[in-house]
Amino acid sequence: MERAMERQKILLRHLNPVSSSNSSLKHEPSLLSPVNCVSEVSPMAAFGDDIVIVAAYRTAICKARRGGFKDTLPDDLLASVLKAVVERTSLDPSEVGDIVVGTVIAPGSQRAMECRVAAYFAGFPDSVPVRTVNRQCSSGLQAVADVAASIRAGYYDIGIGAGVESMSTDHIPGGGFHGSNPRAQDFPKARDCLLPMGITSENVAERFGVTREEQDMAAVESHKRAAAAIASGKLKDEIIPVATKIVDPETKAEKAIVVSVDDGVRPNSNMADLAKLKTVFKQNGSTTAGNASQISDGAGAVLLMKRSLAMKKGLPILGVFRSFAVTGVEPSVMGIGPAVAIPAATKLAGLTVSDIDLFEINEAFASQYVYSCKKLELDMEKVNVNGGAIAIGHPLGATGARCVATLLHEMKRRGKDCRFGVISMCIGTGMGAAAVFERGDSVDNLSNARVANGDSH
Amino acid sequence: MPVFKAPFNGYSVKFSPFYESRLAVATAQNFGILGNGRIHVLELAPGAPGVTESVAYDTADAVYDVCWSESHDSVLIAGIGDGSVKIYDTALPPPSNPIRSFQEHAREVQSVDYNPTRRDSFLTSSWDDTVKLWAMDRPASVRTFKEHVYCVYQAVWNPKHGDVFASASGDCTVRIWDVREPGSTMIIPGHEYEILSCDWNKYDDCILATSSVDKTVKVWDVRSYRVPLAVLNGHGYAVRKVKFSPHRRSLIASCSYDMTVCLWDYMVEDALVGRYDHHTEFAVGIDMSVLVEGLMASTGWDELVYVWQQGMDPRAS
Repeated sequence: MERAMERQKILLRHLNPVSSSNSSLKHEPSLLSPVNCVSEVSPMAAFGDDIVIVAAYRTAICKARRGGFKDTLPDDLLASVLKAVVERTSLDPSEVGDIVVGTVIAPGSQRAMECRVAAYFAGFPDSVPVRTVNRQCSSGLQAVADVAASIRAGYYDIGIGAGVESMSTDHIPGGGFHGSNPRAQDFPKARDCLLPMGITSENVAERFGVTREEQDMAAVESHKRAAAAIASGKLKDEIIPVATKIVDPETKAEKAIVVSVDDGVRPNSNMADLAKLKTVFKQNGSTTAGNASQISDGAGAVLLMKRSLAMKKGLPILGVFRSFAVTGVEPSVMGIGPAVAIPAATKLAGLTVSDIDLFEINEAFASQYVYSCKKLELDMEKVNVNGGAIAIGHPLGATGARCVATLLHEMKRRGKDCRFGVISMCIGTGMGAAAVFERGDSVDNLSNARVANGDSH
Repeated sequence: MPVFKAPFNGYSVKFSPFYESRLAVATAQNFGILGNGRIHVLELAPGAPGVTESVAYDTADAVYDVCWSESHDSVLIAGIGDGSVKIYDTALPPPSNPIRSFQEHAREVQSVDYNPTRRDSFLTSSWDDTVKLWAMDRPASVRTFKEHVYCVYQAVWNPKHGDVFASASGDCTVRIWDVREPGSTMIIPGHEYEILSCDWNKYDDCILATSSVDKTVKVWDVRSYRVPLAVLNGHGYAVRKVKFSPHRRSLIASCSYDMTVCLWDYMVEDALVGRYDHHTEFAVGIDMSVLVEGLMASTGWDELVYVWQQGMDPRAS
C-alpha cells in the first residue's frame, strides 16, 4: 500500500509541482528498502584512476637463523618476489616506474644497494629505479602506500611496493634501540623510544589488563589457523616457491632446496605448553617467546597501477587501494597503534570499522593484538583468519607487503561478501599504520569498455 | 485509423525496428498505482479494426515501459513497477516467457532503451535514482550510474555515439553520460521543475529535447547548454514524453497530461505544427515509426492505443 501511495504522490507532483527548488524533491524515507541500502554503505564507485593491485606475492616466512632461508641472502629473497609479480602478469619489466622496498634493520645505504642488485637479479633493466623506505614494522605497507601515492601524483604509471627482511643476516637489538644521544634521557618520551619492544608489550598488557591466558589463547589460535591454512593448500596462491640453498651448521654441506611453506607454524601449539614458557622481558610479566611474533626471514611484493591501465592491459584486478593512515601514539605502549590507525584509515576511505569484512592485524605481541581487537570490538572470525605473525613470523620490513598478498588472496576466495579489508600494524617508537583495500571485482565494472579512438564503432 | 483497446491503462508504446506493422504496448492496472501489468504485441493489418493483438504477457506489477531489441527481431524488454526488468521473446511460446528477469532496481523501472548503434546493450532508468546498463547475455547489470538525486524518468541512447546517453530526472537535471567515463560528462539544469523525458535529435547528435512538469518542451544543443535553442510552449499540463522524428530533422512529438499529442518544428517561429486530442485521459506514451515515415502511435490512461499517419485524424476509421 505504501508503494501505491508513493506512486500516487509522484504522479500528483507532476500535476501540482511542489516548488522550483531542486533540493525539496526527495523520496519518502520509509520506502528505502534494505536491499537498496547495501549499495549505500559506501560511496565507492569504479573510476579509471583508482589505484589497483594486479598482483601480490610473498615468499614463505621462515624462522631466522634456523629456518629455510637462514642461508639465503636478502637480495636473492627480494629478487624472487620482484620477478614473480612481473612474470605472472606478463608485464614488461621496463614499464615499471619505481620499486619501493620496505626494509628495517640493515644499514640504509647498504640495503638500498642490495635492493638495486635484487632488481637486476629479477631481470629489471637499468631504467627502472629502486628505493627503500623505513617506518619500522610498517615499512612493507608504507612502501605500497608510497607507490599508490606516487601513481596518483602522476610520477609514474606502474609501481612495485615490496618488503624484505632477513633477520638471519641482520639482528634486531635485543636490548632495545641503541641510544647514543644522552639528551634522549632527559625527555621521557624520547627515552621510551629506546625501550625494547617486549617491554612495550608488557606495558600494554599491564595498562590495559590483557592477561597471560588471553595472550596464550591468541597464540594458540594463530598457530591453529595458520596450520589449517597450510593444510588446506590455499596459501599456494600467494606463496612463490624460492629455490635456494641451505648449509648444514655442522658439516657445512650445502644442499639445494625449494622453500614454499611457512616453517614457523606449530600445529600442535596448546595452552599447556605455552603456560610453561618463562616471561622474557619482565619477571611475573606476561610476554613470552610463545605469545610474541617470531623473528623471521621473508619478502613480499605488490604490483600497482591505475585501473584504466590494468583494464587496457587486460590484467585482473586483485584489489583496490582505498586509503592509508599512520598515526602516532605513546612510544611506551606502541602496541596500541592499530586501535588508533584502523579507525583513521577507514574514515579516510569513507567507511566505518564495522564496514570492514576482513582484517590482517600484525601480531607483534599477543598483548597488543588482543588489546587492539578488543578496543575496536572486532569480530575475531574476521581477523587473521589464516593465522598471524605469532605463528607465521614477522620479517619486519616484509610484513606489510606480505599481508597485502595474504589479505587480497583471502578476500578473493571469500567472494562478494568480503568487500573491504584492512591491514594494520603497530610500529616501534610509537605509531600505528593501517590501509583499507577493496576486493578487486566487487565494484561495478564495465568490461566492454574500450579505449576511445575517435570512432566508437 | 487503427485503435486498440487494452484492458489496462496504457503507459508506453514502441514500434518494432524490424517489422513496420508491429508494435509493443506497456500497460498497467489502476493507472499503474496498484495491480498487475500487461505487455501487448500488436500487429497492424489492413481492414477494420486495423490492429490485432498477436500475444500478450501478464506481469505481477505495472509495466511502465517496453522496448524492442535491435539485435533480435522477436525480443522485447519491459520495465516493471516492482523494479524488475524482464526480457520476452515472442518467437517462443508464452509459457516460456519471460526468458529473463533481472531484479536489481530498488524502485519502479521507469524506462527501457535499447542501444541502436551497438545493439548489444540496453539501459533502464528507475525511481531509485539510478540508471543501469545491461547486456543481453549478462546475468546482472554491467554498470550502475548513480548520480541523480531523485527519480530518473528516462535514459536514452544517442543515436550516433554508441557509448553516450542522456538521462532525465525529477531532480530537474538532464545528465549526459559516456559509459567509458566514470561519471556523467555533463549536467544540464534544464528546467525549474521535474524533467520527465528527453530524446536525442536523430540527425544532429548534439541536439537534445527535454520535456518537463513546467509544461514546456525545450531543445538544447549540448555544446552550449546554458540557454536552450528553443522553448516550446503549448501544453496545458506536464509533458510526459518527448520524441524526435526519425525522418524529419526538426520535428518533435510530445504527449502530455493535458491529454493531447503535439507536433513541433523547433526551427520555426510558430513551432506548434500539429495537435491531436484523441485521448480522453492522460496521454503518456508516444512513438514515431522508423520504418514508415509519418507513422505515429500514442497511448494513454484511457486504455487506448492509436496508430495514425501524421496529418490525419487518429480517430478516423
